[in-house]
This record gives sequence, structure tokens and C-alpha cells, in this order.
Amino acid sequence: MIKITNLVKVYRTEEMQTTALNQLNLEVKEGEFVAVMGPSGCGKSTLLNILGLLDDPDSGSFLFNGIEVANFNERQRSSLRKQHIGFVFQSFNLIDELSVFENVELPLIYLGVKESERRKRVEEVLDKMQIMHRQKHFPQQLSGGQQQRVAVARAVVNKPHLILADEPTGNLDSSNGNEVMELLTDLNEQGTTIVMVTHSEHDARYSHRIVRMLDGQTVLTDIMV
Amino acid sequence: MFRNYLKVGLRYLLKHKGYTFINVLGLAVGITAAILIMLFVRSEHSFDRFHSKADRIHRAWLQEFYEGQIFTNVVTPVPLAPLLQENLAEVETVSRVAGIGAPIHHRGNIFNYPVTMVDSTFFDIFDFELIKGNRQNPFPSKNSIILSEEAATLFFGNISPIGETLELEIGGEKRLFTVSGLTKNVPYESSIQFGLLIPFSNAVHIWSDYVRTSAWSNVSVETYVLLKEGADPAKVNAKIPSFMQPLVAGNYKAGEYNVRLQPLTDIHLDNTLPAGMVAPSNPLYSYILATIGILILLIACINFITLSVGRSATRALEVGVRKVLGAERRQLIWQFWGEALLLTLSALLLGVLLAYLLLGQFNQLANREFVLNADVFTLLFCFSLLILIGLFAGSYPALVLSSFRPVQVLKGKVRTRGMGLFGKGLVVGQFVASIIMIICTITIGRQLHYLQQKDLGFEREHNVIVPTNQQGSAAALLANRFIAALEKNPQVIDATTSLYSMAEYGWMQLGYKDDKDVFRLFRFNVIDPDFVKAMDLEVVEGRNFMEGNPADSNAILVNEALVKEYGWDDPIGRKLPGAYPQQIIGVVKDFHFESLHTSIKPVVMALKPDAFFENSSDVSYDYSPRPRISVKFRGGNAQEHIALLRENWKEVAGDQEFEYRFLDDALNAAYEQEQRLGNIVQYASLLSIFIACMGLFGLATLVVQRRTKEIGIRKVLGANVSTLVGMLTKDFVVLVLLASVIAFPVAWLVLKRWLQDFSYRIDISWDVFLLAALVSVLVALLTVSYHAIRAALKNPVHSLRTE
Repeated sequence: MIKITNLVKVYRTEEMQTTALNQLNLEVKEGEFVAVMGPSGCGKSTLLNILGLLDDPDSGSFLFNGIEVANFNERQRSSLRKQHIGFVFQSFNLIDELSVFENVELPLIYLGVKESERRKRVEEVLDKMQIMHRQKHFPQQLSGGQQQRVAVARAVVNKPHLILADEPTGNLDSSNGNEVMELLTDLNEQGTTIVMVTHSEHDARYSHRIVRMLDGQTVLTDIMV
Repeated sequence: MFRNYLKVGLRYLLKHKGYTFINVLGLAVGITAAILIMLFVRSEHSFDRFHSKADRIHRAWLQEFYEGQIFTNVVTPVPLAPLLQENLAEVETVSRVAGIGAPIHHRGNIFNYPVTMVDSTFFDIFDFELIKGNRQNPFPSKNSIILSEEAATLFFGNISPIGETLELEIGGEKRLFTVSGLTKNVPYESSIQFGLLIPFSNAVHIWSDYVRTSAWSNVSVETYVLLKEGADPAKVNAKIPSFMQPLVAGNYKAGEYNVRLQPLTDIHLDNTLPAGMVAPSNPLYSYILATIGILILLIACINFITLSVGRSATRALEVGVRKVLGAERRQLIWQFWGEALLLTLSALLLGVLLAYLLLGQFNQLANREFVLNADVFTLLFCFSLLILIGLFAGSYPALVLSSFRPVQVLKGKVRTRGMGLFGKGLVVGQFVASIIMIICTITIGRQLHYLQQKDLGFEREHNVIVPTNQQGSAAALLANRFIAALEKNPQVIDATTSLYSMAEYGWMQLGYKDDKDVFRLFRFNVIDPDFVKAMDLEVVEGRNFMEGNPADSNAILVNEALVKEYGWDDPIGRKLPGAYPQQIIGVVKDFHFESLHTSIKPVVMALKPDAFFENSSDVSYDYSPRPRISVKFRGGNAQEHIALLRENWKEVAGDQEFEYRFLDDALNAAYEQEQRLGNIVQYASLLSIFIACMGLFGLATLVVQRRTKEIGIRKVLGANVSTLVGMLTKDFVVLVLLASVIAFPVAWLVLKRWLQDFSYRIDISWDVFLLAALVSVLVALLTVSYHAIRAALKNPVHSLRTE
């Protein structure tokens, strides 16, 4: 599904230049659950942003389902993103002014799905995440675990092929964290490819494979049994 | 999608009530000001446009070069209208309009109601609405009269006036007129005002044959011309000298006597020509007001942008999330513009409501009777405000917020640092406008105070003017009896009769050729021996007139300005060289018989006018030469004084209507336009500083947010609250000071131009500038210190946690 070859991303400021990704190579197969680990500043988040088409690489190749996307323009990236990719963030990033239902509905609106269809799909996914009873609540009325479940629901409502999770349990206690990891595992078992950045060895153990990064490169891959 | 935007927009606005309130209120106040000022400017620019043939109607005006002087008049010779009609093929029709003094005798009362004499073509040219009567033949006979509704109600109450009669005293004889028509009241926005119309054929009772047919130096009527469709006024103007010049060749060389046409719709705002029936307006004032309106709106819009900048950090995250979920920039632009339009719509509704509620006060301020109607123009104006403000004010969030990159905002990397210069620039702009308005308010106030307090050279307090509205011996008889009755009363200090009182700004102007063949002009008044004393004029040389001294009827008093003009060291005993036999017996200290807009001109005062009228080659006047009685009271209750005057008037004048004016009111009326401007600028500056402070409040929010971590660290390192408040407020003080530096020269230029309209004026003093800057700094400090103190008092643990 994802094939990255010799990817380079350099951040430049007036004073200095930082190489975030340095000739990075990575392949993720359809249906895989990959955890990316490494010390702070090793380029994990940059990698995730490029995978999510939120950022563009300076050089190298990025094939998504066999199509070269490294040079996509903003509109092409936005279109690919809303059709194929779901995001889960450490800090949930729900919109405070929208209810649970409306937050989850948002990707479908941008996808141009009809209202009746939207309702059906949002209810389906809220039910699956067991937060149906909270659909009219606003984010600030929910616990952290519930908020992350809403965020996961929002990430999967458009049935993406790929979910990118950036430290999804980082702001949660262990029991809520475990619940979220269970959810991601379930989604993966149903066929969704997941790439997760994490600092937690415990969370990484839910994945099939751990990619370890250092100084913008992959240094080791652990295959989980 | 739209519903989602609307929902988020509404919820966002409701959630951040303070932000919404400040924004809506600021914009609403700006919109209110804009709507009210629009009513004023619209009225000023709509004068005379209600006539369907307005673009073809012109008024003739006259420019004479005579003995090195230029005389400009919008009042023209009586025979001009038929002359233009006969000689210009482009002229469809003409009508003369002349205000005449004709006391009206009705049911035992005498009314001094203005009577206007017009040609029968009047209604062919103008669209004044005739409710009853015949437009084609409005005056069936020479003794027909047409009334406005107001006049009809005054004379006949609620009954139909058609067929009723009024007795008008014209040319010294009472003549019976029968009502043949009724018009709607003349709109305010008309340069021709009338209540009673009579046919121009009555001119035979007023002017001699000579005046009516060939007196080209004698001006008495306004002449209106309706040009045929497609006629070019410039070409018509160019043709006039060919038939005019031969008629005036005896007195004027070619190019010295010019008749020109002025478009009807230009009359109201063209103050380069003298006043006609209705005084023109200074167009400068509607431009100043329109500028003020735009400035206030701009300040309110800038406010909106500043507050958006202040809140951008919170909105940035939403932008990031939406983009991650697939939103395109175009969609976000529409979302933010939609929100701005929604907010502007709320502000517009509130603004219209406020305008409606404040209309009464504004009418008082502007001395008008504006009505706020939902007409097409007003609706279009409001709609344009909505779109323009919405688009302009929403441009920052729509164009800048929507450009945020999700990677950066989601990582919290979007700093509002980049907005610093932009936000600061906006605040400086707002304060520049506010400071200019404060400086103008104070200076206009000081100039008005100066005008009202300046020693005019005569006593203005406790003085009441009563016009006799009579001429010649009838006036003298009435005045003498009235004064004799009043003098018995201990409250009355003095009473005096004069052709013009101090309340008429503009005495009669006489011109003559002196012994060296130089044409000279002076102002002239006929007074009685009590005038000098009653008005507290100071005789600086010679003596005043003496009661009962027959020799004084051949003597004159002059002012210092006249002595100066002739360059005399010993004026007493001299005569005006050339024309007049009267000897100067006294010189009075200069006094301001005209408004302080003009400098003091030479004055001659005499007991008897006849020799002056006979020997002057030029006589002109703005106010009718009918004697006025000035009564000086000891002070006390003004209403009692009026009651006393009324009672005595009834005794001596019987049925004749009693009229009066307080001298100080009449004098202040000369500065009414300035007074109104002063009041409006005062309100405008209060509004602008109020709205600007809201913007400042918004910017302070942003700055404090941005520096939260810095404040925390400084506190941990030992900074105390006052140091922190000082640090946070210092930048704002610098902004306001910068605004002052920009505002000072602009305000100075504006005021210098405005003060040029006055011959007597204050100097623009530097303390006003300092005061305006100080007020602005203080207000800014008060506004900003709320956030600064809150931030400085915050526990550093919380401050540091935000990073």
C-alpha cells in the first residue's frame, strides 16, 4: 500500500537546517499494523505527516497504492486524504463547537456524502465505538477516553484504507489507553492498515511490526509474533 | 455544508460572548453612525432633484464688474426672464420668483407671512404638487392666490380654502385675493420655499414701469429658465452676451455685465454664489461628515480584524482539523466570510435599530427632520454596508486563517507573532483617526467659545429685538409709541429704533464714487439718538447724536474702520468726499455688526436716510429695510420680558402680529452650522475612541496570550506585578504615541483649513495636541491594563503549563 524510497525532508530556518528524514525507506503492506518508535526529534511525526499528505517531502518517492503522490498539489492531496486516510491525534483535536455526532459527520460532509447516508454511517460507527448515547454531547463534556473514541470514530467514518495515529494514547490513562488500542486492533483485523507513532512499548506490542527510527532513518524493524 | 458553517458560526459566536458582543456592538455603533450620516449627506445631495425636469432647469445669475468691484447676484433684473425667453430658442419657458413683503389682513389680524410672486408658468417648470387647482392655469385672475397646506391651515383651519379670500397689502394698498389652489408643503430639500403664491402680474403694484422693463442695474427677482430637451447650457450661456450687451452698453463695457445660467441641482451646494431664497449649504460640511462616517466604519471594521487576529490562535486548530479531514481552502474561506457576514448582519440589525432610536437626537443635532424609511435607497445602502463590511472585516480570517498549514497548527507551531506588525498597524490607524477627531473636537469647541464670548463691541445680553414690519412714517409712529409705553417700565433700561438691529448680520450696503472717481462701498444704518447708548457702543472721538438737535439730521457717525479706510487723522467735521453733504460728528469704536466670519467694514450711521439713498449709485440689502426696535432689559426672567413686550405691543399695534428675537440667539445663529459640526465631531470622536479601545482590548488579548510563557518565566525569576504590567503596557503606549505623531500634522492641516473661514479665530495651540495624546494614552492604558494585570497576577505554574 505504501512504498517510500529515499525520502528526504529538511526543515530550514534562518539560523539552521534540520534534516528530519534522511534517505528514508519504508514499505507498509495492505492490512498491516505498523508502530513507529524512536527518540524525540528522530522524524517520526514528520514521517506520519508525509504519509498523511499533510506535508510534502523535499525529494524521494512516495507511492500510495502504486501511485506517485510526492508531487501532488494541495487539491489532489486533500482529495486523496479525505477518501483514503483517517487521522487519530494524541490531543484528539475535536472541534469544540460541534457535538459528537457533528464531529464524526464532518469528514463525510467534506466528502460530499448525502445527509441520510451520513446519518446512517455516523450512527453505525458511534454504535460500534459504544458512544451512541453521547452523540449530542460536546467534546468538553466527555472524558479523555471518550474523546479519543470519538476521534477514532471520526477517523474511520469514511471507511479509510489507512489510519495514521500519532501517539493515540499519549493523553490517556492506561485503562482508557488500552481501550483505544483494542479499538485500533479491531479496525486492523477488519482490514484497515494502521501506522501508529508511539513512545510506548506497551502500545507498540499491539502492532505487527515495529519500525525504529533514529536521525531521520529507519534503523531496525522488529517483527511481533 | 452551509448548515454546518452556520451552526459552527452561531455556536462560535455564542460561545465567545465577549468577543461577539464587542464585535457586534462596535460594528453596530459604526453602522448607526453611517446610517445617520447617510441621511444627512443624502438630503444635502438631493436638493431640487424631485422635479422631473430638474436637469433642464437653470437659475440665472448676474456678475457685474463696476468700478473695480465685482458684484455677484442670484437676484436678477425683473425684465431678464422675458428677455431670455425672446432671444434664446433653446428656452422652453421661464418663471420669475420674487419674495415680497405684503402684510396679510385676515379676520382682524395682520400676519407677516412670506408671499411669493411667480409667473403662471411656475407649475410648468417645477413639480410642486398642486392638490387642488389647475396646473395649466394656476392663477385664473390677477387676484388669485395659491396656499401651501401649512398656510391654509394657518389661515383657514381645517376647512377647504378654495374660494376663500385673503387681504394682502401690496404697494401700500389692501387688495383682496381669492384662493385658487392648494399645494402640498414644499419639501425641505427645495431651494425654492413658499407658503403663499400670487401671480407676477401684481408686479405693477410694486415696481415702476422702468424697473419692470429696462432697469438692468436693479435686481429684484430670481429668474428660472427651463431649457428645451437636448439644449446645451454652455452654448446657451455663450449666446447671452449677444443680446444682453447692447442693452447695458451705456453703463458697462463688454464683459462687465454677465448673465449666466446655474443648474438648479447645483444651487444648494454651491456657496460661491450668494444666498437666494434659501441659503446654500457649505459642501465642505457634507464631505466632512461623510469622511467621519467612513472613518468610524473603518475603525469598527479594523476592530473586527484586530479581534479576529486576537482569536486566531483558537481558530487555527479548527482550521487544521478541518483541513486534515478534507476541507479545501476555498471552503474555509467561505466559512469565515460567512461567519463575518452573519456577525455583520446582527450588527446591521442592531445598528438600524439604534439609528431608529437615536434619530430624534440626531435630528436635534442636525436641526433637521429626517425620517428613516425602508425605501429602495436605504435598503440598498444597508445591503451594501452588509456586503462591504462583511467582506472587508472578514478578510483577515477568511484569507489568513484559511491559509494555515495543518501540520503547523496541529503541532501548535502557528504563532501569532507574524500578525504583530499588522495588528499594530491597524491599532495605530484607529488611534490616528481618533486623535484627529479629539483634536478637532477641542479646537472647534474653543473656536465656538471664542466666537460666543468675544467682545463684539456692543452689549448682547438681555436684548430683545422687535421688528416693526412697517415702513416709513407708519414704522416710526409705531416704534415711538411702543418705546414710549416701554420706557415707563423699570425693567427696561433702554429702547431704540434703527433700520437694522445688531441681529441682522448684513446691513444695507451703499456705494458711491468719491471726488477722485474711486468707487467706495460702506455699510449703512439709520438709527435714533439712543442707539449708541442702548447698544453700549463707545464714541472714541467727537460726540453722539443729540435728542432734539435739528442740526444732527445732517450729521453722521462713522466707525474706526471707515476712518482708517480714508486715512484720516481728524475725521470730525469731514464729509465723505464727493457725494454726501453730511458731516461726521463722531467716531465709534469698531464693533462687529457682521458675524466673525468677516472683518469689520466701514460703517455710516445717520438719523435720516434720504440723502444717502439719493446720492448713492449702488444700493443693496439682504434684509428688508423695515425698522426694528431693540429693547435692553435689566436682566431677570426672559419670559417675563416677552410677556411685557407682548402686552405693550398689543396696546400700541393692535392686531399686528407680535414678533421678537433674543439678540444673543440671533447672533449665535450665525455660527449654527459650526456649532452643529462641533457637536457631531464631538460625538464622532467619542464613538471612534470607544470603538478603537475595543480593538485595543482585542490586541491586548493576543499579546498577553502570546507572552504567557514569558510572563511565567519572568515571574519565576522574581519579576513583580508592577514590572510585568509596565512591560506589557509599554508597547501599547508606544503605539498610541506613534499614532499621535501621525495624527498631529493631519489634524493641524484640517483645522487650519477650517479656521480660514473665520476672520476672527483662535490660534491652534499645542496644548490641544498634548491633551489629545494624553487622553488617548490614558484610555489605552486603562483598556490594556485589564489584561496586563490579569496576566501578571496569574500563577506562573499555569502560565508555564500552557507551553
